[in-house]
Amino acid sequence: MKFSVNWLREFVDLPENPEEIADLLTRAGVETENIETRGAKIEHVIVSQITASSRHPNADRLSVCEVDDGSGTKRQIVCGATNYKVGDKVPLALPGAKLPNGLEIRKSKLRGVESQGMLCSPIELGMGDEASGLLILSPDAKIGAPIADLFPTDTVLDVEITPNRGDLLSHFGLAREIAALTGKKLKSTPRESKIPVKKTGVSITSTRECPFLSARRIDNVTVGPSPQWLRARIESVGLRSINNIVDISNFVLLELGQPTHAFDADKLKGGINVRLARAGEKFLALDGRSYSLKADNCVVADQERAVGIGGVMGGEETGVTESTRNVLLEAAYFLPASIRRTARELNLPSDASYRFERGVDPEMVLRASQRAAELIQEIAGGTPVKEVNVAGSLPPNPADVSLRYEKCDRVIGIAIKPKTVDEVLTGFGLKKISAAKITKWKIPSFRPDLQRDVDLIEEVVRAYGAERIPGTDRSRFTPSSAADRAHDLESQMRERLVAAGLNEVRTSKLLPRERFAFGENAIELRNPLSEDHVALRPSLLPGLLGVLDHNIRAGAERVAIFETGRVFEPPSGAEKKRVAILIWGNVGGEVHWRNEKRRVDFFDLKGAIELARTGLSFRRGNHANFALAVEVTAGNQLIGLAGQLTNSLASTIDASGGVFVAEVSLDFPVSGLGSRTTFRELGKFPAISRDIAMIVPEDLTHERISEVIFHPTEPLLERVEFFDLFAGPEIGASKKSLAYRLTYRDRSRTLTSEEVNAAHAKIRERLRSDLGAELRE
Amino acid sequence: MTHPLEQVRDDALREIEAAPDEQALETARVKYLGKSGSVSVWGEQIKTLSKDEKPVVGRLLNEVRNLVTAALEARAASFREQKESGALARIDISLPGAPNEIGTLHPLTQMWERSIEIFRRMGFALADGPDIEDEWHCFDALNTPPEHPARNEQDTFYLSDGNLLRTHTSTVQIRTMQAALPPIRVIAPGAAYRRDELDATHSPQFHQIEGLYVDENVSVADLKGALEFFMRELFGSGTQVQFRPHFFPFTEPSLEVYVKSKALKGGERWIEVAGSGVVHPAVFEQVNKARSDKAYDPEKWSGYAFGLGMDRLAMILFDIPDIRLFAQNDLRFLRQFA
Repeated sequence: MKFSVNWLREFVDLPENPEEIADLLTRAGVETENIETRGAKIEHVIVSQITASSRHPNADRLSVCEVDDGSGTKRQIVCGATNYKVGDKVPLALPGAKLPNGLEIRKSKLRGVESQGMLCSPIELGMGDEASGLLILSPDAKIGAPIADLFPTDTVLDVEITPNRGDLLSHFGLAREIAALTGKKLKSTPRESKIPVKKTGVSITSTRECPFLSARRIDNVTVGPSPQWLRARIESVGLRSINNIVDISNFVLLELGQPTHAFDADKLKGGINVRLARAGEKFLALDGRSYSLKADNCVVADQERAVGIGGVMGGEETGVTESTRNVLLEAAYFLPASIRRTARELNLPSDASYRFERGVDPEMVLRASQRAAELIQEIAGGTPVKEVNVAGSLPPNPADVSLRYEKCDRVIGIAIKPKTVDEVLTGFGLKKISAAKITKWKIPSFRPDLQRDVDLIEEVVRAYGAERIPGTDRSRFTPSSAADRAHDLESQMRERLVAAGLNEVRTSKLLPRERFAFGENAIELRNPLSEDHVALRPSLLPGLLGVLDHNIRAGAERVAIFETGRVFEPPSGAEKKRVAILIWGNVGGEVHWRNEKRRVDFFDLKGAIELARTGLSFRRGNHANFALAVEVTAGNQLIGLAGQLTNSLASTIDASGGVFVAEVSLDFPVSGLGSRTTFRELGKFPAISRDIAMIVPEDLTHERISEVIFHPTEPLLERVEFFDLFAGPEIGASKKSLAYRLTYRDRSRTLTSEEVNAAHAKIRERLRSDLGAELRE
Repeated sequence: MTHPLEQVRDDALREIEAAPDEQALETARVKYLGKSGSVSVWGEQIKTLSKDEKPVVGRLLNEVRNLVTAALEARAASFREQKESGALARIDISLPGAPNEIGTLHPLTQMWERSIEIFRRMGFALADGPDIEDEWHCFDALNTPPEHPARNEQDTFYLSDGNLLRTHTSTVQIRTMQAALPPIRVIAPGAAYRRDELDATHSPQFHQIEGLYVDENVSVADLKGALEFFMRELFGSGTQVQFRPHFFPFTEPSLEVYVKSKALKGGERWIEVAGSGVVHPAVFEQVNKARSDKAYDPEKWSGYAFGLGMDRLAMILFDIPDIRLFAQNDLRFLRQFA
């Protein structure tokens, strides 16, 4: 909310420097977000009156005005605005004036017509943001008077009021807070209403939603423009002046925090009543829009129809206009939850609903009514009736709260003198009503947020100053959790992939409507905000494809990326942890004098997958998006998919050459020790290696050959390495040549050549007989 | 008197030493050790000597042959070395080293890992909770009942089954307390979601680290100590940390945390980095109700909680101007943080 420092000063003495006020409030939890200097501290700008206006002879968009500047001679001014009429009073910048935006005014000719100065818009005078037309001054402004007199310089504080502090949503409220924080006395407080009340004329049907209603008739008002001081006040905090009655209602809201509403009494049929709306009841609000009401919305109604949405907005048909003669001034207390629901359901937040839903001060309802009536009497010449009609009763005072000083020390962490605690709480308007070991405090009507001891303790922290509480060290031993172990395994995996040259990405878990493949069946949001974020990712792959797309557009020649994270499995939304890898482009990336020059292939992908998780097997599968689809299994369980995307899919993202992707589950049981590695004896005795080269049918797999080599087990065989693959016309069609190195070793002695030859021969024989391999010597 | 072989030896050694190149050395070898070399010929001559002379000259011949052979080898080795070092001298050592392509962790991960590492040193363990939550865990349990002004349903993404995407990681506070008895000392890194338009500083998905410490007599002072330590570890020991009273429904008192450090860009002003506070007793009461016990008796246990915005901290720490860069994953961006 915006606060005028001048206005605050009517209630409390403030430091000269607005920064100091801002700092004081911010330290007490009332954050000042912005400080703005307002007002026309400008010389040579005066009040003038437009006495005549005619079309500019040479320009359609300009007009030539004759203005009275109070000197006795009329001035001719060329003007581009259209929002004025003859007789209006407007600011006139005389030649020699220097405007806040740096513009210097001189006598000049505009399209051949002399202009002896300039008529100004609000923004040109540094007042508000209005740039579309002239600043129309109040009719009571004195012609020839300096503008600076009408708009005294002011500072506007933009303050963030937290939702628990509805009591700060008014100038009086904030002044009261500042007084408490600085120990200063309030200069004035709104007087208690002395107007007699009469329990007739108004009624409440929905007593839960609206516990209290008041209405007061003010006769014979003259609706018209507001006097300059009133306009300046409400405009200083960003409201627009409408007419004197509406402005007064807004002024009282800004001053005291209590919304009021003025009806044109002659347009009401009978006394007003607050009731729940009928479902579907139509209502034309002051904002000019029609609303279809719900059965739990609370309305102010006359005998025939709803004339206001209670606590939210009045009706268009019964609003105050130029022709209004008699006014009915309504002031009420509405249940915060009800107002909040209504404003939200109708998507109609207003200054009034903002305050009601945060809780207004019940004791302020009639005071505000009285203040508004007095102002209407003073400004619009009305005559308030002697009594105010009321119905219902104001909510009770907030319950008393108990506090132990010892608890206060315990929560804050340092000893604070009971006397200090008492001073703070008393300063905020609380009254100590029991001084026993457990003190008891009466809470003021405007602080319903103070409900338990910790709320009072927070007040002590705010006033005492958080910076005066020294920090303490409470570190302690904590055993690691399952989440710790899972995190560490994931971290280690990420580091292995990074070491292998892959870049980690983090993509949004919310997928766009125009999503890439693999996003089918994703769980959709009920209330998305934009087409870019409409569903929860069921796979990491759409995100990785998006990253590939972006980087190809950005000119990348190689993309090697991975992501770990949660996916949401449709239709249950079960959250599963996965790792996904995508590689595309040239091996090694950038052009480099030592780089291997080839495209990445499936085996680059497979190697990366095997870095991510061990103990995996691969088998052929089928998938619509894959030209080569490979199922990844662990212990016979399908845990992922890998392969090369179809050309049609790859070409949608302009990826020439193969795009290789894999996605593998990371949800596996983690034991207390993680994956523990234990020591194996180093071979002390020399190993002997023998190579086997063979020609086999093309469709014979490495897996099958390995099986034959390893079974039955040859005890001396230590390891087998596959080191060459060749196919070509020299070998013959549908054939391939493979080469393996077999290493033999015994842990307890040196092997003889004869032993190795014997073992090796057995394996060679098996390859020949079981697989029909053509062995090369 | 000297034997003629000794003269041959001295000549040979001198000549070998003086050989200017491998060719001259080879000439010398042939001259002395070649088939009819001046050393080799003595092999024949020795046969003509007397019985007395034979062994003496034989020994001498062996000695000379060994010496000359060794000298030839030494000289040849020195030629080889010269050649090699000549080749090495011609290498352009300023050429780029062989590419050791290593990837990079996403800056948010780096931020996360760094934060987790600090909190672990302070004795925090990790905790976890789902992204898809129910209203109770996201709002009610956190003292934000329906119609509470802080219950921002407008800013919340809902699913058709009535569940929602958590708007903060504070939900993990509740889940942790439901599952375990006090004392509790956990941090929970994770994503949270708000119905915000994507711009330079807002993203519908953002990342937090939630913290919760429940024990006997946990105070505002303890909270301050913990977060001051964390911020100084993260941003450097010269970092100033300020706590400003604020409002969150689930903490009382509530404090917003600001830092200021000359080491940071724009470091002359206070930057908001976290929300925190003392756990509201109503939160404990909600947990007790869900647990159907009194495990979290607000008169016995107290706690502090905090939420750190990881995106924001990473933006401050790495001087990143736009939150959208995180989800865009431009490799040129990512590789700056290698």
